Amino acid sequence: MLITGIRSKPVYAPLQPDLGGRYHYMVGHGVGATPLVRLLGELRQALPAAMARTRAWYVTDPAATPGSAEALKATGIAELRTFGASDGLLADLTAAMRQALMGSRLYVAGPESFMGLVMRIADEFNLKKDEVRAEECGTLARRVHCIHCRASIENVRTNIVECACGRWLVVRDHYSRRLAAYMGVMVDAEAPGERPEIKEVFL
Amino acid sequence: MSQSHADTIRVRVAAIEQVTPQIRHFTFVPLDGGELPAFSGGSHVIVVMRGAQRVYRNPYSLMSSPQELDNYQISVLRVDPSRGGSAFMHEQVRVGSELEIAHPVNLFPLEKLARKHLLLAGGIGITPFMAQLHDLRLTHVPYELHYATRSPSHGAYGELIGRAEPQRARLYHDSDNRFIDIEGLLSQQPLGTHVYVCGPAGMITRVLESARALGWPDSHVHYEKFSPPPTGEAFEAYLERSGISVHVNPDQSLLEAIEAAGVDAPYLCRGGVCGFCRTDVVALEGELVHNDHFLSADEKASGKAIMPCVSRARCRKLVLNL
Repeated sequence: MLITGIRSKPVYAPLQPDLGGRYHYMVGHGVGATPLVRLLGELRQALPAAMARTRAWYVTDPAATPGSAEALKATGIAELRTFGASDGLLADLTAAMRQALMGSRLYVAGPESFMGLVMRIADEFNLKKDEVRAEECGTLARRVHCIHCRASIENVRTNIVECACGRWLVVRDHYSRRLAAYMGVMVDAEAPGERPEIKEVFL
Repeated sequence: MSQSHADTIRVRVAAIEQVTPQIRHFTFVPLDGGELPAFSGGSHVIVVMRGAQRVYRNPYSLMSSPQELDNYQISVLRVDPSRGGSAFMHEQVRVGSELEIAHPVNLFPLEKLARKHLLLAGGIGITPFMAQLHDLRLTHVPYELHYATRSPSHGAYGELIGRAEPQRARLYHDSDNRFIDIEGLLSQQPLGTHVYVCGPAGMITRVLESARALGWPDSHVHYEKFSPPPTGEAFEAYLERSGISVHVNPDQSLLEAIEAAGVDAPYLCRGGVCGFCRTDVVALEGELVHNDHFLSADEKASGKAIMPCVSRARCRKLVLNL
């Protein structure tokens, strides 16, 4: 069963400011503050006037990354909106996108399972590859979609995971942007009970 | 993709309407009856015109409804001075004339996932939008058309569009000193908008420059140029695989000269945008005159490739991989 080397697996790169953009919208989660602070510093150095058109949405994680909201604020960003959880951020971001104008760029930083939810909003607003940049940081834990019962399993760290439907799933690199999840496929369908060793692989 | 011009469609001219002093509107019906191939708004066809001296193949946007395939409609602006194609359509073609056309190709399609479409037309550049408006009326996606012409009498389809799209179309006439506020429009579009421009070269350039200055990414900016192949000095080209030399006259394109010599070279747009006719240059003594919008600056400088539909050469020797 092909589980790696699949082209739908998203590719990420260190964030760099797109100086061709007019409005710079940044979205981060927890450790994602570090690349955003660096990005804002580079933007301010290259194009100080652009700082007036910067906004960030940030999910704080005070236990893991204390002081990161303050660090973002200290960059001179025009507006910083902080949230205790992803849901609130995503709703607020969607409302802001409805008011946003062409010429905007979206920068996303954080764990992939969070970024996938932001990318889904970007797709909804028809943002293309030349308008969105993303840098992965933090946990590699995956959101897995059980292709049999269609449930979502959060924070999967292992190559094999048990779904609430009772099936054991192998976690593939096959990624769905629509579902913001990796596909989980029953691992022992042909030989019931025969499962490879379970290992922690997405750390 | 196969060479789309390999088999052509035979049509009869069912109607001709002189819509402005310079523009004629043609309705084609299939010679064999039945339906013509399906197309989407923004498509063009190549019309093959067999003149007394030479064959012209000019691209024209389909402007009829993609939902009605018993006929195709195009508009032809008489260009002055004409290289021959538009004059042929205006002078030689009559109701009842038979013509060959190539299958429709769409190099100017609407973006299916757009949140809004902003259509900017100048003069005869209205034609691809006429078909797209038919498609857009079937969607729930917002759209606006801004259509500029020199004067009301030059505006071929202003009245028609004004009636069909009273809310969504705005007409502008140079003669009233009313111009499209390109910057104003582009600076206020909601996220997910796509802009499409078809019109004179200067208008396209202004839209592309404004869009870039206002932060629009290239993926949301679409344009179609309909300029004829530029004229230039005569030159010779040797087609290595065919083993023949062709002479390119000053008012003839390299592609036309290749076709006149009986060599079936690939093409789709005949306007230097699609890249389909890209041909490798095997040897060159002199310089290429690149007139296309397809090759990158580096590729143009390398002298290793040419787009024969619009580009030429000033050379003692040119050998092509054809």
